Amino acid sequence: MKAKGLSIAVVTAGALLAGCGGGPGGGGGKISDGGVTLAVLNDQSAVYADLSGKNSVTAVEMAVADYKAKYGDKAVADKIEVISADHQNKPDLANSKAQELYDRRRADVILDVPSSAAALAVATQAKAKKKIFIDIGAATTELEGKQCNKYTFHYGYNTYMLANGTGSTVTADGAKTWYIVYPDYAFGQDMNKSFTAAIQKAGGTVVRSDPTPFPNDNFSTFLLKAPNLNPKPQVLGTMQAGGDLVNLVKQYNEYKLQDKGIDLAVGLMFITDIHSLGPDALAGTTFTDPWYWNANQQNRAWADKFMAKTGTRPSFAHAANYSAALQYLEAVQRAGTDDADAVVKELEGHTFNDVFADNATIRAEDHLLLHDVELAQVKPSSEVKEPWDYEKILKTIPAEQAFQPADGSCRL
Amino acid sequence: MIIRLLARRPVAAGIGLIAALALPWLIYPPVAMDIMAWALLAVAVDLLLGYGGLLSFGHAAFWGTSAYTTGLIALHTGLPFPVAIVGGALAAAALAVPIGYLSVRLSGIYFAMVTLAFAQMIYFIVNQWRDVTGGENGLQGVPRELLGADLSDPFYFYYAGLPFVLLGLWAAWRIVRSPFGQVLVSIRDNPSRARALGYPVDRYRLLAFVLSAALAGLGGGVFAISHGFASLHDVYWTTSGQAVMMVILGGIGTLWGAVLGAAVIVTLNDYLATAGFEETGIVTGAIFVLIVLLFRKGLWGTGRDLLTAARARRARPAESGEDRKVEVATERPAAVAERSGG
Repeated sequence: MKAKGLSIAVVTAGALLAGCGGGPGGGGGKISDGGVTLAVLNDQSAVYADLSGKNSVTAVEMAVADYKAKYGDKAVADKIEVISADHQNKPDLANSKAQELYDRRRADVILDVPSSAAALAVATQAKAKKKIFIDIGAATTELEGKQCNKYTFHYGYNTYMLANGTGSTVTADGAKTWYIVYPDYAFGQDMNKSFTAAIQKAGGTVVRSDPTPFPNDNFSTFLLKAPNLNPKPQVLGTMQAGGDLVNLVKQYNEYKLQDKGIDLAVGLMFITDIHSLGPDALAGTTFTDPWYWNANQQNRAWADKFMAKTGTRPSFAHAANYSAALQYLEAVQRAGTDDADAVVKELEGHTFNDVFADNATIRAEDHLLLHDVELAQVKPSSEVKEPWDYEKILKTIPAEQAFQPADGSCRL
Repeated sequence: MIIRLLARRPVAAGIGLIAALALPWLIYPPVAMDIMAWALLAVAVDLLLGYGGLLSFGHAAFWGTSAYTTGLIALHTGLPFPVAIVGGALAAAALAVPIGYLSVRLSGIYFAMVTLAFAQMIYFIVNQWRDVTGGENGLQGVPRELLGADLSDPFYFYYAGLPFVLLGLWAAWRIVRSPFGQVLVSIRDNPSRARALGYPVDRYRLLAFVLSAALAGLGGGVFAISHGFASLHDVYWTTSGQAVMMVILGGIGTLWGAVLGAAVIVTLNDYLATAGFEETGIVTGAIFVLIVLLFRKGLWGTGRDLLTAARARRARPAESGEDRKVEVATERPAAVAERSGG
């Protein structure tokens, strides 16, 4: 026991010293600490476990394998390690794990980190430790807004993209009058604002928008009100997520609002939500998806490889983790080093196409990844041909329209 | 010999102090700081539960209020972090006055429910008041200012934050050992009798509630500075629940058991984060059930009983020790301390 304690102390002291000695640009070596370490920090046990979770680690491992296969002996990063940690959806745990990953487990990059408080905390650590952080799981635009920093990148989606994609496209396609219900907290309020702006820009009107309590089980007040509004809304836009969304959709179906001429558009929905609710509960619902596995042959081929390893179809988050890891390694390859500042320089302004991201640019001003996203509709089960075949792609929203323009609030 | 030595208060306190000082050498410093901050929250809950007989299920309100207040003070005024932490603790205590005033009239499950309800109200306010609290994004980038000293290394910050925790733990110990603490115990055991003896029961309980909230606030402040942010999680009911769990694991009414419980839970959470299990909830839950079933008085309570039993056996080896055990099982922590102290 004593010996063990002592050895732990020695190891700790050693790690501390190593932590001070290492750091960015550590000396003459091209690759610091003898290898490149990619760390996936996400929720593997709570609400986001299905959306991303452990399978994102597998996706990152696939990216490493592809990188190695592509460059072979010429690979700058010849020794690559993938590690992971479960933040259990607790921001404080995410914060201390991020420090530990950077300091003691020598992570060169942290990937994923769902939920905004956790993501912003990790971004602060990335800034302090001068190590790269590529966020995928969080939706907040603060990451590329006021709280952006040189070492943080936001990859895949954000609240603006979700709201704007669905709001403006559905309006432009003829549904001019909207009734919006949103959960009354920061995310819902942001979504309401972005949606309203997008709808008005596309020539539509928001008849009414109502905040709902959060969390909430009973949406009948709002749903019963909808058909009696004047003018009668053509679309009910819901910004609810997770369990609240499930409840709202069930009640929407019970009140048969679709038969009364009110369609449903959802602000934030993932394929995992459709999977757990069943496609019939959501059939006909329009939403924006950053990526869909069955959208084209290239996606499908990758999804098949993913399925062989995990037994399930990938969500957008899995593909985004793969892409982020791959683009990071490619940047290391171009820079010839894993030094964070050099890799940031390579990532900034980089344009590329890969399985996840079409017509992609990493915007230099605020480190937001711009890429084509899909406007999707949920298929009824009669049209579902195979498991996870839930989405019909209505159209592709080009990268420059999908995301917000850089508004200058970010100072890197 | 060792057993007798361990039971001496200065020796035990010394061991505790050395353990607290050595902690960041043994485990990752931010985790060590987490253990100490959570220990304060758990001790605060135990102060009410173990000594006042009041199960608070809403201590996240005080922990979180202090975390946000501390964060706001540090963020907007640039004052040294100790000032911010003290400010946070005071805010928590101030909040506890109205909440406590309305809740201490109740007991048992009603008290637990009312404190939970108040905590949820605070959660709601914090979630809504996003201009100040940042909503679900939390309050980010809280600085660690201390007269220009560089405390960015969590290892050094641990020693800067530790005095607050030790101060809080000492205060809790003093409260429990004081005549006030004795009255509190008597109110817990027999409120009607205490009232008949002329003690204003509600006022005693209120004071205990406010003191407990201040301790929880102290912990919350240290936590916020240590992490550099305050988040909605701090005011969420799971935080209250976790604190109650720590107390039960460590042993209700043992004070130091709560510290032990905090250490176990925080280390466990930290370990499970990288252990690769998917079902962390099941693991923590199973451990909780096992401890509650096997160690009825918590880790500390059971350990203390074993220690006392061992001493008794040594002191009177001729006797069977059967009746002795019965006495051990019912004695109060104060009684143990008195006998071992002197």
